[in-house]
Amino acid sequence: MDIQTEVLIVGGGATGVGIARDLSLRGIPAVLIEKGDFTSGASGRNHGLFHSGGRYAVSDPEAARECISENRILRRIASHCIEETDGLFISLPEDSLDFRDQFLRACEETGIPTTLLSREEALALEPELNPDLLSAVKVPDGAINPFALVLENAKEAEKHGTKFILHTEVTSLLMDRDKINGVRAKDLINGEEYLIHASYFINATGAWANQFLKLAGLHIDLALSKGTLLITNQRLNQRVINRCRLPSDGDIIVPSDTVSILGTTSIRSEEVENFEVTPPEVSLLIKETSKMIPAIQETRLIRAYAGIRPLFQSEEKGQDREISRGFTLIDHGKRDGLKNFITITGGKLVTYRLMAEKTSDLICQKMGIDTPCSTHLKPLPGVSEPSKLNDRLKKIGQSITADGGEILCDCELIRREEVEGLLKEGKLKDLQDILHRTRLAKGTCQGGFCVYRLLGMLHDLRMAERDSNKMLKGFLEERWKGIRPILWGTSLKEEELIENIYKGIFNL
Amino acid sequence: MHFDLIIIGMGLSGLMAAKTASEAGQKILIVGKGMGSLSLFSNTIDLLGTTSQNGKMWDVISRWIEDHPKHPYAKVGMGTSKEALSSFTSLFPPPYSFEAFGDGNCLIPTGAGTLRPTYLVPSTMFAGTNLREGDRLIVGFKGFKDFYADYVADQLSCRGITLSLPEALHQEVTASALARFMERESFRETIGREIKEKLHGETRVGLPALLGVRESWKVKKDLEAIVGAEVFEIPILPPSIPGLRIFNRFKEWLIQRGITFLLGHFISKAILKGKRCEGVHVLNPPVSNFYSADRYILATGRFVGGGLVADEKKIFEPIFNLPVAQPKSREDWFGKSFFDDLSHPVHQAGISTDSSFRAIDEKGEVLLENVWVAGSILADHHSVDEKSREGIEIATGYATAKQAIEHGA
Repeated sequence: MDIQTEVLIVGGGATGVGIARDLSLRGIPAVLIEKGDFTSGASGRNHGLFHSGGRYAVSDPEAARECISENRILRRIASHCIEETDGLFISLPEDSLDFRDQFLRACEETGIPTTLLSREEALALEPELNPDLLSAVKVPDGAINPFALVLENAKEAEKHGTKFILHTEVTSLLMDRDKINGVRAKDLINGEEYLIHASYFINATGAWANQFLKLAGLHIDLALSKGTLLITNQRLNQRVINRCRLPSDGDIIVPSDTVSILGTTSIRSEEVENFEVTPPEVSLLIKETSKMIPAIQETRLIRAYAGIRPLFQSEEKGQDREISRGFTLIDHGKRDGLKNFITITGGKLVTYRLMAEKTSDLICQKMGIDTPCSTHLKPLPGVSEPSKLNDRLKKIGQSITADGGEILCDCELIRREEVEGLLKEGKLKDLQDILHRTRLAKGTCQGGFCVYRLLGMLHDLRMAERDSNKMLKGFLEERWKGIRPILWGTSLKEEELIENIYKGIFNL
Repeated sequence: MHFDLIIIGMGLSGLMAAKTASEAGQKILIVGKGMGSLSLFSNTIDLLGTTSQNGKMWDVISRWIEDHPKHPYAKVGMGTSKEALSSFTSLFPPPYSFEAFGDGNCLIPTGAGTLRPTYLVPSTMFAGTNLREGDRLIVGFKGFKDFYADYVADQLSCRGITLSLPEALHQEVTASALARFMERESFRETIGREIKEKLHGETRVGLPALLGVRESWKVKKDLEAIVGAEVFEIPILPPSIPGLRIFNRFKEWLIQRGITFLLGHFISKAILKGKRCEGVHVLNPPVSNFYSADRYILATGRFVGGGLVADEKKIFEPIFNLPVAQPKSREDWFGKSFFDDLSHPVHQAGISTDSSFRAIDEKGEVLLENVWVAGSILADHHSVDEKSREGIEIATGYATAKQAIEHGA
């Protein structure tokens, strides 16, 4: 079943899916191939911070300008994926007020609106803040749900004809002298192999950019930077809390639905996939973020995770924090003589649309098409769905009184009916696909109970037969990566319970 | 009020200590925050799961003791361990009795469709052991989310059915509610008949382990009479109804013997003087009482039970602040793999004791002369991986009570 298309996009993160939507709105046929599920890379492993650009205003004005401009666009087109919380940049006694003033000036120059708040005003808004803070600057930061954002983009692209192939890897390229003719693809679930022919190829693999380029014998200077994040068991802040200083470790706390996300670090990494969060990183993040919100010291953590940022390096050397968080678009025709091949990498989640626009512009230019981009004008399909926490809670409340079956996940109140509905839509290939699309395993016990129930339900529905304990073990092993670094206090207690269930009662 | 012995902790080890001391005529107070791991994990009595099915249990334990001289079993000794187990089983005369199959472990099916080795099995689980492929039917209930008949049946290569509950008022039913339903004759009639209709020649029928909190033997017998096949229970996710039965049996027996039984109470402070405990403040918010005794047994369990507490840096024992043997830093508490690393070092952390179960410092000096330590809080075992939990609890509960009494004599 070989496939023929116009443009092949490799990578199902925000950038790749954004390009898919952009091309589809311009009427250009495309196929997107992704070796995991949507947002398996950095798009799904970040802070969920909807940047105003404030963080980069002083250090990287170009990235800051891109952020605030996209921030305004996404508020219009993707309001249902965004919680408009605002953000505060707080100055602590050990921080310089000179920097704050420089920050205010830089925001003004880059077009980021600010309001300077006194200590009392800041504490009135965010009672958990360190009471010794000197002042706070309010900016239009927010929280964004990357997975919903990517799914919405995919949904619209699909409606306009884009084909998405998940869990499928590109294993080799069919090369000509000055262009790529096609790729050999392998379905990682059933092992099937086939060819995809296209006129143009886009490498949107993020941190995997060099792994893909290697297939074409190419290489770019990409620094991989590991960012570690922690999730608290409850929401401690209503606004994004940033430390008003040059970007450093542990200076952002993002509220996200019912939790807060603490981050981050920037550690050079050689590994794209097999990296771990270490206890010292956890301790560092707690130490730093609790300077802003002291209650973090006493708050239960439910998970640690990390993502790998791909940072494009120009020739000058320097600290990773000083490398621009802006993006890079490489025309391999100009750079390497492969005229139908483009790499897009770097950037921020909040600039995904702009990255997609610039990439699609380049494709159009190569194709000789002059249809302009419209992704900034057209709202994403689900914009009218309830997005506010309160509205969603109301919806849950209604389903509890209705005939929705038992609650599979007691932490996040997921009813059986909701999951069954999702399963009926089909197309889900593995356990992670289901977990990605629900709040299952996102709560306090991190799937310690509900994943067993999910598998039980799959057997009930005859969607699984035999071998489920292998899947269960696989899930628990994956879960362990996020749990192991944060096991003390109540988390350790609960982990003992979980271990006694699976290794004890169930003898897995 | 003054007692001969105060036992802190109401899990299996504390209850065994209470029974043992009560039989020696002691005046006892037992204080417990909860029911310990009994209400969570204990369905059967594990002694040592590392042994193969064919090994003779006591031979295997004897070798285990030789290989693990610091293990709680080694401190209790073979003879006393056997006595302890007999004392436990004497509390459960037939029909609801605990029995071994042959000399070694038997295999019982679990809620994940796996087989699990264990030593003593309550009579409601007998028919689940030594199954042949295809000869059983697994039965689950719609609306009960902690057991999936098809999941279990698919792993065990047999058939599963899920019944709709006639008496469930709500969409969702809990284990304890189902166990109470089972105690009703009309409920048994209804589900029994439905199972009988759906039987395709299977000779044994497995249900989740909730055949009544009380009179489970009768529940099983009644169902068998209606269905016309043998019925057995399958251990499932917590809470453990079979564990609750063990707790209730001890509780009833101990209260009948006149011991003071304070469930839902915990120790807010222990009063220490030199190397002795002089008394404990027992809190049942908002009421606090002071009790003293000649001797004390600490049987507060591990992390789940609250006997051990971990902060970001270290593990400690909150009541007497006894030293906890533990890995050097938090980085060493857990292995990198959940399953592949055999046992996570944190599970071997605990209180180090001398051979009479009194806590010692690193020089081997006894820290508190009138406090004995029993149960899973002890160091040098990893009961989850060894599958030795109940065995250790029963043996050390019994042994510490004997030691404490002997000491007072």
